[in-house]
Amino acid sequence: MRNSGAVLILTFIAKLILQAAGVSPPGKPRLTSCRSPEKETFTCWWEPGGDGGLPTTYALYYHLENSETVYECPDYRTAGENSCYFNKNDTSLWVNYNITVVASNALGKNISDPVEVDVVYIVQPNTPENVTAVVVHDEQGPFVRVSWEKPRTADTRSGWITLIYQIRVKQEKDEKWEEYDAGMQKYYNVFSLHPDKECMVQVRCKPDHGFWSEWTQTTYVKMPNYIPRERSLWILITIFSIFIVLILTWTLNVKRNSMKLCLLPPVPGPKIKGFDKQLLKSGKTEEIFNTLVIQGFPPTTDYENLLVEYLEVYDNEKQELVLDGKELSEDFMKSKSSSDNDSGRGSCDSRTLLLEKCMDGREGSGSDQHQYSQHGETSWASTESSESQGAEPGYPESTDGRAKTWPVVFPQPHHHSPVGAVKPAYHSVPEILNQLSPHATPSNYHQLHHQDIPQQELWFSKSACRHSQSYNQFNLDVIDTPAPGVPPLPSLEYVEVQRVNPENMLLLRPLNREPERSDCTGEDYSKVKVVTSHNILLLQRDTSHQCVDDYSQADQCTTQQPPHPCKPAVHQWNSVMPQEGMRVMGNGYVDSTVLMPSF
Amino acid sequence: MKKTTVLQVCMVFVVCSLQAVIGSPVDCPDQDTAGVSCIISLEKLLERAVQHAELIHHIAEESKLLFDEMLISFGVVNLHISEGTMCSPKTVSVPMSKTEIQQISDKWLLHSVLILVQFWINPLVDVQASLMNYQNAPSALVDRSKLMSTKITSLEQGILVLIRQILGEGGLVLEGPEDTSDHFVSSDTFETVRRDYSVIYCFRKDAHKIQTLLKLLKCRQIDKENCSLF
Repeated sequence: MRNSGAVLILTFIAKLILQAAGVSPPGKPRLTSCRSPEKETFTCWWEPGGDGGLPTTYALYYHLENSETVYECPDYRTAGENSCYFNKNDTSLWVNYNITVVASNALGKNISDPVEVDVVYIVQPNTPENVTAVVVHDEQGPFVRVSWEKPRTADTRSGWITLIYQIRVKQEKDEKWEEYDAGMQKYYNVFSLHPDKECMVQVRCKPDHGFWSEWTQTTYVKMPNYIPRERSLWILITIFSIFIVLILTWTLNVKRNSMKLCLLPPVPGPKIKGFDKQLLKSGKTEEIFNTLVIQGFPPTTDYENLLVEYLEVYDNEKQELVLDGKELSEDFMKSKSSSDNDSGRGSCDSRTLLLEKCMDGREGSGSDQHQYSQHGETSWASTESSESQGAEPGYPESTDGRAKTWPVVFPQPHHHSPVGAVKPAYHSVPEILNQLSPHATPSNYHQLHHQDIPQQELWFSKSACRHSQSYNQFNLDVIDTPAPGVPPLPSLEYVEVQRVNPENMLLLRPLNREPERSDCTGEDYSKVKVVTSHNILLLQRDTSHQCVDDYSQADQCTTQQPPHPCKPAVHQWNSVMPQEGMRVMGNGYVDSTVLMPSF
Repeated sequence: MKKTTVLQVCMVFVVCSLQAVIGSPVDCPDQDTAGVSCIISLEKLLERAVQHAELIHHIAEESKLLFDEMLISFGVVNLHISEGTMCSPKTVSVPMSKTEIQQISDKWLLHSVLILVQFWINPLVDVQASLMNYQNAPSALVDRSKLMSTKITSLEQGILVLIRQILGEGGLVLEGPEDTSDHFVSSDTFETVRRDYSVIYCFRKDAHKIQTLLKLLKCRQIDKENCSLF
């Protein structure tokens, strides 16, 4: 008892002394890893725990899972320090190894924790070998082809190990590596590398169940300097198109206004004469429509009076045609039935009436009046209004092709006051005749003869319209005895206005067809130059003949302008007569068919 | 007349040859009852076998990992399978190293593979049934166990065909292993889990073994010159 106690105390004291000296049994070692490079051998490494100040030895012991036999590591040196290398003979596959490491020194030993290892699952191959990187020039651009070989120790040919490879690439100044899986093949093509840069390549491998190998040493390859053709082409195209777009924009900007006109032409606003937009805006429809209404339409009762003023001259040809089969005298004598076709004769409403009346009324006045009446019929201008057919509802049917023995009524020149002072129409004729008689040659006066019917043709103004009422020639047996002052006229002739006397009377003078004339025909006022806005016929003075004396008065009345000192050559119509209605013939004659109340 | 007969003969010959040509490399379903007329080339057979083995091994590896996760979720940390004996109660010794494998013949290779495959059919079925009874077994694990059992069965058939083809009809000397593995039924949950884990664990190893052996066999049979073995 005393001895054991003494031994214990001594041991304790010794330990204390030893601890004070700094020595201790070794620390616990630790197995770090066991690896097999080719699934045929393997190596285990451990880490010493501390030697405790004294030289320490390490021993590795193992036993297989299905046996109790403990073996020690066969080879401590091949793999380096603190390692144990198991060669092929000592390696069993698909068997767990139970491995422990024992560290021992003079003071004691220490055992590590056991580790179970199955060789099949600790395979970590060696790095691939002979890594080469080559630049390959392709039509689409150059790329790098990396190729390598399997690690020498790995037996992939027989299928003992199946290795898969991995490659990583980094270009200079890049931060990260690009990793690519190469599978079981031993080459790889790297695309999309930047030109003119150095490229670093590394490869590693791994068995289907195991650990990745270490990366190989870096392999360097330099990319050539090339320009991607495709990109440059697109750049050129882009620049070109931008340039064109800019030019187009600038051009459009400059021609802005003309483009606007071209694309969006201004739309003319609607214009209706007499239409007031303001009225429309104000919304008073009554006023609007009132403005559109023309005063004086339809023609009022004045129309009747107006019609009286008209002279009508009929087309000779037509009359001839008509007269062939008819009896003239009877026709117009008995034309009471068509009495409603008065074309404004005033008191002489009907044809027959006029004749009778005229003749009767003038009996007292002698043959002059006869003559006169006849003359009147033939000599005066007739305002043939048959021209304006459509616009004259009230006009007697000039379209009536029948020979109408309208007695030609001389249109009253001056006092064409609205209501019917029509009578003087033919009253004035004898006056004129009387005046004219001393001047005119007998031969120039018109006369109606039976036999001269075909030759008789009187035009003062000729209506172009074929509807013009045929000139009627009276077959009067009256003209046998020529008036004293009036020589019988051999034929009907054109009459020209000799002059206009102050009383606004046309002084007619027959046209001189014969070359010699005693008197000069003077000025020819038979041509109407123009109708002014005041409904004035401006007659053109034809100074083809020499006329001096008596026509000095007429000289003043040159109708170049509306003659104020002279009386207007043509009576004024008191009706509204738009200028457009007048038609000027080519030879200066006026077709005053519009001398009707117009609208 | 002669010409017509010659033509007929030629036609018949052509037709027959065509039939023969078409008939030979026809892919047959991998069945034991394949008739004589249906022949698959050895290369294709071996390739299929190797693919099967690789797939089985892959699934086994995943199953083991899933089981480990499941055990961790169960809270069983210390289920440590340290008993090495568990995994190799084989009646026939199986080569353990490459040198050994290099030394055995094709015949033994095939037989080893067959033994292994046949050994594991029943345990896998048991494990699959057992996993269905677990409360929180992950469905992936259950599916994989099913897949493993089906694949191992088809692999067995393939091996038999291979044996018949390589070794002839006299190759099947060994009988199928006796059903020595008693169906382990235990009421103890812990034991059941332990057993299931060990099955999966050990099967994983053997699957790798089968894969390796078949690969070697394929290399030997097809590419005898380049194979470093032998």
